[in-house]
Amino acid sequence: MLVIRNLHARVDDKPILKGINLEIQAGEVHAIMGPNGSGKSTLSSVLAGRDEYEVTDGEVIYQGQNLLELEPEERAWAGIFLSFQYPVEIPGVKNIYLLKAAVNAVREHRGQPELKAGEFLKLVREKLKIMQMDEAFLHRNVNEGFSGGEKKRNEILQMQLLEPTLALLDETDSGLDVDALKIVGEGINRMRDPSRSVLLVTHYQRLLDIVKPDYVHVLADGEIKLSGDFTLAERLEREGYEGIEAA
Amino acid sequence: MSGFDTLLAQSTAPRAEQARALGLPTPRVERWKYVPTRTLARTAWVAPTQRDTDTFALSGGQFLNIPTVDGLTEVQSGLTESERLRLDAMATAHGFSLTQDALNGHQLILEVGASASVTLTLEHLANLSLEAGFATLVIRVGSNASLSLIETFEAEAASETNLDSLRMLVSVARDGRVNHLKFQAANAGQLIFHAVDVDLSENAQYTLDTIDFGSKMARSDILITLSGRHANTDVRGLALCNGSQYHDTHLAIDHAVGETTSAMMFRNMVDDKGEATFNGRVLIRKDAQKSATEQSVANLLLSERARVNPKPELEIYADDVTASHGCTVGSLNKAELFYLKSRGIAEADARAFLQYAFAEEVVERVAHPQIREQIETRLLGELTHGELIAELKDALDV
Repeated sequence: MLVIRNLHARVDDKPILKGINLEIQAGEVHAIMGPNGSGKSTLSSVLAGRDEYEVTDGEVIYQGQNLLELEPEERAWAGIFLSFQYPVEIPGVKNIYLLKAAVNAVREHRGQPELKAGEFLKLVREKLKIMQMDEAFLHRNVNEGFSGGEKKRNEILQMQLLEPTLALLDETDSGLDVDALKIVGEGINRMRDPSRSVLLVTHYQRLLDIVKPDYVHVLADGEIKLSGDFTLAERLEREGYEGIEAA
Repeated sequence: MSGFDTLLAQSTAPRAEQARALGLPTPRVERWKYVPTRTLARTAWVAPTQRDTDTFALSGGQFLNIPTVDGLTEVQSGLTESERLRLDAMATAHGFSLTQDALNGHQLILEVGASASVTLTLEHLANLSLEAGFATLVIRVGSNASLSLIETFEAEAASETNLDSLRMLVSVARDGRVNHLKFQAANAGQLIFHAVDVDLSENAQYTLDTIDFGSKMARSDILITLSGRHANTDVRGLALCNGSQYHDTHLAIDHAVGETTSAMMFRNMVDDKGEATFNGRVLIRKDAQKSATEQSVANLLLSERARVNPKPELEIYADDVTASHGCTVGSLNKAELFYLKSRGIAEADARAFLQYAFAEEVVERVAHPQIREQIETRLLGELTHGELIAELKDALDV
């Protein structure tokens, strides 16, 4: 599904990713953990195509194609979805406009017929229910005035609607209280599927208790220092990043 | 020299000679610094004619079909002393304002009776080629009365050069309120000059939504004087400049007494070789304690050659006031663009979304539902890729 080889990236003149190697197969959930400033968010942003980051070396192959050559929207059409750490507020654009436009743009490029208003509303109501969100969210401006938790739910709602092949979840657990964490976590679990992969970036273990990853990687100073199974997350929680790095 | 010389020479108005002698303001006149005067100067303007219509309209400097509704009277007895002084001040600002005064066609005085509630819709009809129409509308709003004033513009496809000038004096008595909505989508050959002078008594209110989409150039001079305690005003404006359009608003709010409040919010969106000027001046006088003002000005530049000239000004002489202001100039927000594109929305559609959003901040507050709908439709038509949003609105808005 996704092969990352020797990926180097910088922002302005500051190198952040210093040779990432990672392979994700279809159906797998990988968690990337690491201290602040280790490059976790940069990795998901580079994969989604944010242009502030410059890739200086290495390659990313997604489903046989060179991912780095694609525009962000082309990546979305190809099935990549990024759940933002800080979802952007867009005053003046109704959430429902964004959702319907996004769903139909992605469907069009997958050769699926466009959803008419009625079909779309039926689908979106179903997903709202899963995310325990009120229908009023549809008619509010995109993320404007949403609480931190509401923004994250809105991200996972979008993921449910867009049905990505590769979901990049950037600190989706940050800013969530216990109840919201559960809703978001279960929202992610519902999406687990043999054909869908998830790259989950997080600082803490708590989301991983709900969304059990197949692999855990520790990212520090722009490199993956250690990989293992779920027990690695538990070790990190006990010993902290410093303990792991020293070992 | 100006293109009005022939008309001024024929005029017997007291200020005609002075107007001719002075000519058009040069860029040295600060308030006219950016106004492109070429068309004004080089067109051989002719006297206007009136068109036929059934509704209350301004055509060739004349008001047609003055409405007869409950609570509204046409006053025949002329201007009050204070109105005359305000109009004099308006007329003597520079050579063009003298021209407006000297060539004035119709001066209409309307009065909204105390406690009455009146809606007036004035349509500006497109003038014929080379015609310059000048008119003056004086409105007195009685105590506790309310007036909803809507100005629309005939969007004729014709693009021959023509000129529409309206000076407006509005006086609102105690507890009176005026909601003024101007939706300017005039034909591409029109030059528009609007001057509005509003005086608010105690606890009176004036709101203005001014939307400028059409015309070749449009200039608005708006002066709002808060002369009674608890008077308040709220002005919101949106100007779109495409092609080589020029839109210019000079807005001044004068807090003459204390405990008065004002807010202004103005958005300019400029594409192609368009240019927009916004001058927003708030004056809080020495004795106007406990007054409050809010100012928010944003300019969106969509092309390399687009220009904006924003100038927010706050002049505060009182020491116990609340004032906030912000002025930005920029292009589309990259983080917002990336967010939309990461959802599979194509670049062109994402840009249209954000332009629409920028304009909506003003448009969504327009209280009149039908006019708001017209504004949105026109807005989407003006955007290079407005079709997707238009479709979404059609499909999803109930």
